[in-house]
Amino acid sequence: MERLLALWLPGLSLESSTGAELRDFAEALRVVATQCPFVTPVRLGLAVLPARAPSRFFGGEEAVCALLRDELHDIACRNNTEVRIGIADGLFAATRAAKENVVVPYGATPTFLAALPLSSLRRPELAALCVRLGLPTLGHFGALDPDRVLERFGTEGLACHRVARGESGELEGLRDPSIQIRLRALDEPQVLHSQPTFFGGTSLAQERATRAAIRLQQRFGARTVQVARLYAGHDPHERGELVPFGAPTVQDTAEQLWPGGLPAPSPTTVFCTPRSVRLTDKQGTPVGVSPRGLLSTRPERCTIEGEPRTISVRAWAGPWPLTTRWWESRRHRVRLQVLTETGVGMLLAMERGGWFLLGRYD
Amino acid sequence: MFAFSSHARQLPARPSIPADLRQRVRPLVSASSRTLPVLPALADVLPGASLRRGTTTLVSGPLGSGTTSLGIALVAHASQAGHWCAAIGFEDPGVAAMSELGLDLRKVVFVPSPRGGWAEAVAELLDGVELILLQPPQRVPHAAARQLVARARERRAALIVVVPSREQWPLPVEVHLEILQSTWQGAGHGEGRFRSRRADIRIEGRGATTTLQTSLWLPSARGDVVVTSEVC
Repeated sequence: MERLLALWLPGLSLESSTGAELRDFAEALRVVATQCPFVTPVRLGLAVLPARAPSRFFGGEEAVCALLRDELHDIACRNNTEVRIGIADGLFAATRAAKENVVVPYGATPTFLAALPLSSLRRPELAALCVRLGLPTLGHFGALDPDRVLERFGTEGLACHRVARGESGELEGLRDPSIQIRLRALDEPQVLHSQPTFFGGTSLAQERATRAAIRLQQRFGARTVQVARLYAGHDPHERGELVPFGAPTVQDTAEQLWPGGLPAPSPTTVFCTPRSVRLTDKQGTPVGVSPRGLLSTRPERCTIEGEPRTISVRAWAGPWPLTTRWWESRRHRVRLQVLTETGVGMLLAMERGGWFLLGRYD
Repeated sequence: MFAFSSHARQLPARPSIPADLRQRVRPLVSASSRTLPVLPALADVLPGASLRRGTTTLVSGPLGSGTTSLGIALVAHASQAGHWCAAIGFEDPGVAAMSELGLDLRKVVFVPSPRGGWAEAVAELLDGVELILLQPPQRVPHAAARQLVARARERRAALIVVVPSREQWPLPVEVHLEILQSTWQGAGHGEGRFRSRRADIRIEGRGATTTLQTSLWLPSARGDVVVTSEVC
């Protein structure tokens, strides 16, 4: 999970009739954005930003906290409040860290979460029941078997369970979905005519499908039934993901392709665990890629791990290099589309000297 | 009465529904009764121009020939129209490709590798969804297939079975789409990229006197599914 810095201005969390809090919060976001990128408002008075890059730039997480405290001092004084800043992994832990005004060290987020009382999830019924069962903290709750949690508490409980275990930072109710629209409306004073309509509502078809999916999850386990998520990214295997049905939705996922990504059509089968492939020319010399991104020889024969047959290659396209995170070493990948003699399209990739089958155009 | 009818005649004529809109409205109306809408290209080639509820459609073809794409294309339009779909047995789905083929991912549940047996998973899901896209892991036993078909008919759901060869499904089906051969176009010796795939398809309907043979772009260079005669 991403390491997040959460900043909380308690005095701005409650709105008065003048609307001054919203304007001051918008100003606070602007001030923070001049120092650190990607500031996202969560709800009124609370915002998060990725912590890793700024802490490297400013020389440590404590330095970032001090800087932001300094920058927000005026706004906080004007509103007669304080600035609370916390850093931890995932949205939930980060907001809790901001409440406590602490920086949770690297790798200590599960320990931090485990000590929190169950009431911090803001699910009163669940908390009351678990406390009576002798499970006062998130640590106790997280130690339960996910299938049992699903049985007893449903998908809502499962979402809480994932948060308690530190597998997910998103919890319904944590974000105020209207805050972004309201902040944008400050900049554009004209009338808002777009009503955010949330998917589904409570149509009969949706209810039936949900009930069938939950029954199946209760019989065969939570991971049996999944839903697909599409993200922004470069390659097919980075853009799609299956998550258990009922897992909380991540908001603001853009679906567009990043520059350097493979354009449509995408492969209809994308292997979770890429299989290694031996790609050679007619003489059996392995195909390599030069530092300038050219193939060393013509790809003619292809053998996929676990399949005895050698396939003849009729045509190929590429190679297309992609270097991500160039500041970390060895994140260089080359993609190649291969068309076999029988007309089957495959997507291969070379990373760290070997070819892999990423997907098939099935 | 005369006054009334003459008055009515003076009213401006009701504008007719544009052709492209009518295409999209018509299946929505009939969906509630007997059929589920399909993409226009598939409506042209399918017997009855739609997926009939309670029936089985078989998609067969060698591995990698485009059976997965064809199966998704069959359910794409119905999912856009708001019908829920379950994809069972697709272990490594290409989520981006499914979205490109027009599938509404918010209306699909995946059961990639059901632990307790795929047949039970299908039976359970048939209570909740209207379309089942099934890729059985091996040859389907006769008894299991009969049970599923009966359940689908009873629940008025469309069952679409994707298999590598006809022998994998032991029962007669209402519609059988067989991909005879297919190939990608656009790649050369290093240059270009995969842009479109031409697939030769044979369509047999139960009780139909003739079998139809046609070619589809699956997908075309524009990303949609069309009959080859129309455009590249």
